[in-house]
Amino acid sequence: MPNLFQLVLQIAVILVAARVVGFLFQKINQPQVMGEMVAGILLGPSLLGWLAPGASAALFPPASLGYLNALSQVGLVVFMFVVGLALNPSELKGYGHAAVLTSHVSIAAPFCLGGLTALYLYPRLSDDAVAFTGFALFIGAAMSITAFPVLARILSERGLVRSRMGTLAIACAAVDDVTGWCILAYIVVLVRVTHAARPAWVTIAGSIVYVLIMLFVVRRLLPAFEREFRKRDRLSDNLVAVMVVLVLVSALATEWLGIHLLFGAFLMGAIMPKTPEFTRYVLHKFESVTVVLLLPLFFAYTGLRTRIGVGGGRAIWFYSVLVIVVAITGKLGGSMFAARLSGMPWREAASLGILMNTRGLMELVILNIGLDIGVISPAMFSIMVLMALVTTFMTTPLLEWVYPTRLFRAQVDEVQENAA
Amino acid sequence: MLALLGILEAGRNIRAPLSIAGDWTLEFDPAAGCANGPADLRQPALNISQSGSEALITLNDGHATSLEATVNGAVLKAGSLTASIAGKPAARTLAGAMNFAGCAPVPFRGVRQVSRKRDE
Repeated sequence: MPNLFQLVLQIAVILVAARVVGFLFQKINQPQVMGEMVAGILLGPSLLGWLAPGASAALFPPASLGYLNALSQVGLVVFMFVVGLALNPSELKGYGHAAVLTSHVSIAAPFCLGGLTALYLYPRLSDDAVAFTGFALFIGAAMSITAFPVLARILSERGLVRSRMGTLAIACAAVDDVTGWCILAYIVVLVRVTHAARPAWVTIAGSIVYVLIMLFVVRRLLPAFEREFRKRDRLSDNLVAVMVVLVLVSALATEWLGIHLLFGAFLMGAIMPKTPEFTRYVLHKFESVTVVLLLPLFFAYTGLRTRIGVGGGRAIWFYSVLVIVVAITGKLGGSMFAARLSGMPWREAASLGILMNTRGLMELVILNIGLDIGVISPAMFSIMVLMALVTTFMTTPLLEWVYPTRLFRAQVDEVQENAA
Repeated sequence: MLALLGILEAGRNIRAPLSIAGDWTLEFDPAAGCANGPADLRQPALNISQSGSEALITLNDGHATSLEATVNGAVLKAGSLTASIAGKPAARTLAGAMNFAGCAPVPFRGVRQVSRKRDE
């Protein structure tokens, strides 16, 4: 039985820390979610556990973390559904060559550089229980991810969603996310299959059957939700409950198949009807509790597993800098040069690269999966968490420096004038 | 794709340190005659968190005593513990000796509990 007093106290402390640090980060023009991620790290061994180990051990004893993790995983299942729901493949249409080239290069360049870095890091931060292939593919995938939700929030907070740059960045990030999750699903299967009780063919054949059922059966039934929404301008509580059950069943199916809970939730969101009013309504229904209550628990759980600067010997800081430089070079550099090659001016190409370099909480989700399945070590996890924080933090100031808001706004006005 | 295949091919021959991460049950030699030390440890006696050749051993002694350790080839060395590592990753074993206050080093054999999950 969980110690309810302790669990409720933990949740209260986490929420207060998340809101306070989030507020402070907003004051320095950072997105709220960036502050919430940092709050999670501050509550872990990297700060609270280091400054006040007694208080940290009393507030977050290891035996109590299972309940916190369970709550945060439920939150992530709902959050991944929301991410899938917000994705709209039609956003890519109309951007032609630039979007296709940029999105492909923004995956391929960091992926290959991540793989190259893995050659150096594998003997230093991994062990022989992990095959090099799994390690290298995971590092590549983790380097190539873009945080679609954080990116959307940064653009929205700066009023740039409708700019040419903003829409192109969102379209590319959507492609990156789908591709990144497909690659990650493959890696999870690859790593788990060698340790699973279930034969590999069950996982592979089952995954194919599951995806086909989702795309050709479930997807055709989902517009019923939208029709009901149009009739009444809302969904009844019973229908919302049915939607939640569908998300959970889909998540359970992928977990049973040996992929991961989150893939099922993500796919269910991705195949939901995409009319703007319906999407907005469902997002509103699901987002509040998830973003305000459950995601901060996930950030705190991640922070409790993160020991910045610990493990891997004294060279850990060198490895951290190396990973950050490689991640930025691959993602920012790759996207920037691809955009430039497809005819964008340098300033816009650089801005797109900066936006694509935002990794945010999607990176934390992926890293937690990597640590759970044992493909990365605790030190590698901490290094990658640091990289996620740095690349997310740098987005807003770097974007303002390269492409100030006033220039962006002028571009938006110009687009609107041309449209008129 | 070719570049990635080249990287994966190049990585095939790279060797990483032997894996010791996870929970370990230890069996101490009863003939060693150390009254207190081994009896204070509950099973699983050790939890090891590993990153490359660096590891952190946490003893299940009620105080969560931790020891910094290193893996050098097939040898694990920590403050009061030295052991040799044997077996494939799925059936890894430790054999060595542990020092307890007031006793001569107590020989032990360790078996890793099957788990892929790494935690702090």
